[in-house]
Amino acid sequence: MYLYLPVALTSIHVFIPVGLGLAVGLLSGLFGVGGGFLMTPLLIMFGIPSTVAAATDSNQIVAASTSGTYAHWRVGNVDFKMGFYLLAGGFTGGLVGVQAIKVLNAMGNADFVIKMTYVFMLGIVGTYMLIESLGSMRKKPSEKAVTTKESSVTRFFKSLPMQTHFEKSGVTHSALVPIFFGTLVGVLAAIMGVGGGFLMVPVMVYILRMPMHVVVGTSLFQILFNCIEVTFLQSYTNHNVDFILAVLLLLGSTIGAQVGAVFGRKLKGEQLKVILAVIVLAVTVKIVLDLTLNPSLLLTQGGGH
Amino acid sequence: MRVTFLNVGVRRTLFACAFVAFMIAAAGNASAELTATANHDHIKIDFFYHGGTVSVRGVSDRGTDLIIKITSPEGHEVLRQKGRLAGLLWMNVGKLTFEKVPNLYSIHSTKKLEDILSADEMDKYILGYPALEKHAEVGPVAGEDEKTEWFNHFVKFKESSQLYSTSLGKINITEQGGKQNYYVLLEWPYQAQPDHYTVSVYAVKDKKVVETAEAHVLVDQVGMVKSLAGMAKNNGALYGIISILAALGAGFGVGMVFRKGGGAH
Repeated sequence: MYLYLPVALTSIHVFIPVGLGLAVGLLSGLFGVGGGFLMTPLLIMFGIPSTVAAATDSNQIVAASTSGTYAHWRVGNVDFKMGFYLLAGGFTGGLVGVQAIKVLNAMGNADFVIKMTYVFMLGIVGTYMLIESLGSMRKKPSEKAVTTKESSVTRFFKSLPMQTHFEKSGVTHSALVPIFFGTLVGVLAAIMGVGGGFLMVPVMVYILRMPMHVVVGTSLFQILFNCIEVTFLQSYTNHNVDFILAVLLLLGSTIGAQVGAVFGRKLKGEQLKVILAVIVLAVTVKIVLDLTLNPSLLLTQGGGH
Repeated sequence: MRVTFLNVGVRRTLFACAFVAFMIAAAGNASAELTATANHDHIKIDFFYHGGTVSVRGVSDRGTDLIIKITSPEGHEVLRQKGRLAGLLWMNVGKLTFEKVPNLYSIHSTKKLEDILSADEMDKYILGYPALEKHAEVGPVAGEDEKTEWFNHFVKFKESSQLYSTSLGKINITEQGGKQNYYVLLEWPYQAQPDHYTVSVYAVKDKKVVETAEAHVLVDQVGMVKSLAGMAKNNGALYGIISILAALGAGFGVGMVFRKGGGAH
């Protein structure tokens, strides 16, 4: 059955968005990412204008991350305190990132900087996660304890003021640390036009040293707030949110997120990291191919990125 | 032929209310000889709309060739232009503006345009892609060759979403006395946005247009589709809040259902 999308101004078979929602929602519940880096290109591939695809995706992520956060919260895997600090940083970073895009556009090579940032961030994050998690899967627990020797970075973090304990995550940090990294991810995410879950998850795992299962729940919690903000701004200023498309997507993604959360509990943190690393690397390869293979059309719709 | 049309027509026009079927549009105005009628003068976009068919029929002088052109009003489009950076990476390298181009342009003729019409006539009536290219303004480009190159990319882009199309020999002609009846059934793309479309029919003889006739097709949104599109455009804040609340509600709702269903924790 086909349905007409009033804002995208196109018609789509209902199975396509519901199926995409289910698949991306599953990843969302499993890994704590919004999945925009997968969903937006897929929607464009199915004929949705790029600006509508990005805006509508943030609307459906509100639903998927609510569903996912709820599922993780029920089993005590959401660190609200950490989430709020990251959010405060992310919000500031978003504002800075939007200004950065304006400067890049004025300089005339915005697309190059955006694409390169995307490829390098995905490539570095994916490779590091893959190597690290495969390495720690091979190590015995006794060896792990030895490797947690204090690095200079850790010593620097400990010397910062405003030290506070995050009970759910079982870590102590200066409040400045999550705020700073939240801001950094916010800037990069705004430049790349993505939610930034795939950057936030490694930051929480490797820099904030949070346990993987709490990372997933907390990441979803802060994605939820980011996407509420983006959905509102997109509706208010750009009129790009397609409500019908969002409903079709969330029919799949809310259920996918629940299934992902249940399934995630059965996997070990290291296993989750390996799978996420492989997905991130696959997306990197896809983007590199898009950049190097001859495109079928040399003209595309304007707006967005 | 007629039976096939009815079957296809009936099946494809489920999207529109039955009463609009076969309503008669504005009839030919240029002459007493050439007439043009579209079976739908009003295509209504509701939730289940997935494009449809429009048939054009009429009468012309015996021995004339026919060209049928469907266009939307002329407008301008800004598109992103891809190019190779450093000879290696495909990037958006700029924007191109196309002026005086219709969003939809569809040409159907009994024979190849170049064989039945002089270049001047094609340009005069904007018939065929080369004539449309001459009429259009493309910028920024360096010279005519670059204009042609990018206009061809533009046509390819439009054809990929079925908004530009051409066909040859699709028009069915049956002779009757000194006249000929013509009939063509055309796919109406669902990508065609709400607008006023003009169906122009040209009767051609000795490389010249001898008569023209016109019909009109209005495409617009109705019901919920119209209300939602209007709200998104005119009341963005409320639309955004409703979208967010619906998403939050759905997220919590599904969460509750799974808790009851799962029960393990």
